[in-house]
Amino acid sequence: MRGALHAEWTKLRTLPSTWWLLPAVAALTVALGATATGSVSTDQCPSPAECHEDTVELCLTGVWLGQAAVAVLAVLAMSSEYGTGTIRVTLAAVPGRARVLAAKATVVTGAVVAAGTLAVLGSLLAGRLLLPGNGFGTAALSLTELPTLRAAAGSVLYLALIALLSLGTATVVRDTAGAITAVLGLLYAFPVVALMVADETWRERLQELAPSSAGLAVQATQNLDTLPIAPWPGLGVLAAWAGAALLAGAAMFRLRDA
Amino acid sequence: MTAPAVTPYRSPLPPARDGFPQLLRSEWTKARSVRRWSVTLLAAVVITVFVSLLSALSGSFDVNGSPPPPTKGPDGAPVTDSFPFVHQQLTGDGSITARVSPLTGREGHIAPWAKAGVIIKASTDAGAPYAAVMLTPAHGVRLQSDFTHDTAGSSASGAEPRWLRLTRSGSVLTASESADGKKWSEVGRATPAGLPRTVQAGLFAATPELVTVQRHFGSTSVGGGPSEVTASFDRITVDGDRGTVVDGDQGTGTWRQDRVGADPTRAAGSPDRSTRTSSAWTLTGSGDIGPLIPDADLTQRSLSGAQIGLIPLAALGVLFITAEYRRGMIRTTLTAGPRRGRMLAAKALVLAGIAFLTGLLAAVLSFLLAEPALRDNRPNPASYPEAALSDGPVLRAVLGTALLLAAVAVLALAVGALLRNTAAAVTLIVVVFVLPMVLLAGLPVDAAHWVMKVTPLAGFAVQQTTPRYDFVNTVCLPENSCYPQGPWTGLAVLCAYAAVALGLAMWRLRRRDA
Repeated sequence: MRGALHAEWTKLRTLPSTWWLLPAVAALTVALGATATGSVSTDQCPSPAECHEDTVELCLTGVWLGQAAVAVLAVLAMSSEYGTGTIRVTLAAVPGRARVLAAKATVVTGAVVAAGTLAVLGSLLAGRLLLPGNGFGTAALSLTELPTLRAAAGSVLYLALIALLSLGTATVVRDTAGAITAVLGLLYAFPVVALMVADETWRERLQELAPSSAGLAVQATQNLDTLPIAPWPGLGVLAAWAGAALLAGAAMFRLRDA
Repeated sequence: MTAPAVTPYRSPLPPARDGFPQLLRSEWTKARSVRRWSVTLLAAVVITVFVSLLSALSGSFDVNGSPPPPTKGPDGAPVTDSFPFVHQQLTGDGSITARVSPLTGREGHIAPWAKAGVIIKASTDAGAPYAAVMLTPAHGVRLQSDFTHDTAGSSASGAEPRWLRLTRSGSVLTASESADGKKWSEVGRATPAGLPRTVQAGLFAATPELVTVQRHFGSTSVGGGPSEVTASFDRITVDGDRGTVVDGDQGTGTWRQDRVGADPTRAAGSPDRSTRTSSAWTLTGSGDIGPLIPDADLTQRSLSGAQIGLIPLAALGVLFITAEYRRGMIRTTLTAGPRRGRMLAAKALVLAGIAFLTGLLAAVLSFLLAEPALRDNRPNPASYPEAALSDGPVLRAVLGTALLLAAVAVLALAVGALLRNTAAAVTLIVVVFVLPMVLLAGLPVDAAHWVMKVTPLAGFAVQQTTPRYDFVNTVCLPENSCYPQGPWTGLAVLCAYAAVALGLAMWRLRRRDA
């Protein structure tokens, strides 16, 4: 297994796209988070004290964008091997397919967790710098606050699960364009479709099922009772999606010719 | 000895033509011969129609009894027509003049479009043709007629009394205003439809409901409440033939106090609080005069699937060029047609054509299937304007959707040519078009409107069919897919993005090795 891990790490490390995408995860997350934070101010509330803005969730909005880079990274880790034919060399070196997939998942998840931690900490820091200028307090943004810690750690976990979901999908689809479109459709189009549904019960049900809107419930720190789904069960929904994608990927990987 | 004459080899085939039509033909051949791409086009149609139908069939509203049918204006469109009306009869030509004091609201709250002034109306029936010149708190003096026509007069602050006059001459009503009752200036002329010889001339006060919008990240509350406006009128004169006295209280010089339309905010039976002193009237009223803006744009909603259907088309647009790089096909393509700009232009043209036709099919099907379903689910279907595929705004929305999808595909092609990387290009397009729709609901309205105006997302404005009136305050919320700009402006923004990206791509293609 160590050899497999080493091989996967070498492949990931030597792809130029990796060194574009990992910084992009952090940069895009922080940039969108800072933009969203900068656009909201207490001026829009009747009075600053009545502004019950969930500042933690606001600062971490960027995860919505950062996940796109994570998805591309994880999809490419698998689909580019099929695109270039490296997969045949890989399987000649490590014939155990489950082992290849596990090693890939471990390496990709590790890289994403590192980039995701940077992204989340950077977003919170940007929030601490920007929020006072807009009239908000920054007390909620400290990692010693339990809900904030849960939101921050949950966001990193969220990105890791997105990586696994994308890797699983790419193993099933094998084609870069197809896999990317499928994953992005799942992450972005699903919640948009949910918003279009007029019936409240169905809208909430779809939001509970959509991997991105359910998973990002983990970022909420206020008004938890109005959420369609509670924070940890929400992340659980995403974990179920990721698990299902990986299982399907592993099964297809075993059954199909490379 | 002489060398035998060498005849250079000449291919017996006719020389190949390398004009633009040949380029188009080769691109068309490439496009149609990949089976996966045909499946993608089919998927775009199916996804668009499916999502449109899902949003149409997914919810019905509780219908409590049968709501009253909406008031119809002179042209048959639904209108709001409800206000306290103090009037007398006027036959033939004549005029009505009054001095209107500044408008006051209740508890200091007054709607910017509250209005009070003099009006000439065909009858006291709701929806009857009219013309009115009025004073507003924030928009100066206005001349409005037949619910949808509005002419601005002076921007009198509304802090000082204003003289207003409406003169009838035949079928034309002329509105004038004055600061002192001596020097008059014309505001404009109006010709209400089918004004009878005998009309009602009088005073009115009306105000739309107050609306307040509060947004938090992830939630919006639109509050509002009945509003009220009070205006006093004095120095009132009505000149002209006031008709013959028919019975006791109607006729020469007699004011009648009435109400046009039902008052939505007042319990039935309670009278309007309008009072009369020797020569002055004070009117306190609510209700409004103007077009009825439906709370949902059914045509736009029936086309909402395009927001998701664009994903496969964008993927196709990207692949149309990146697949050539991946397979090395680009070298064959450029050998056959070495002029790179023309090659890309041919690709864009073929792709735009395919995407337009696919989008048109998807839009027509979505409209025909989803629009009736949306209408049936509404509590009061009659309050939405009739929509048929041949109507101007509907046609614009449907054709606009097809154009929009074609522009998205061309933009995707250009991004694909610039990045030469399928994954990056597909991600970029999907993120630009779909992510804002998730996030806009959480941003402050101004920030959200800015995004909807200047990003490629602006193109979706072309799906809107509800007419906008500057003189009707409407709440334009991003989560209701309300775009702040006009339909064609929005589409032009998207097309500009596509054109600039295509230009950049051509320029890059010339300077880079394939």
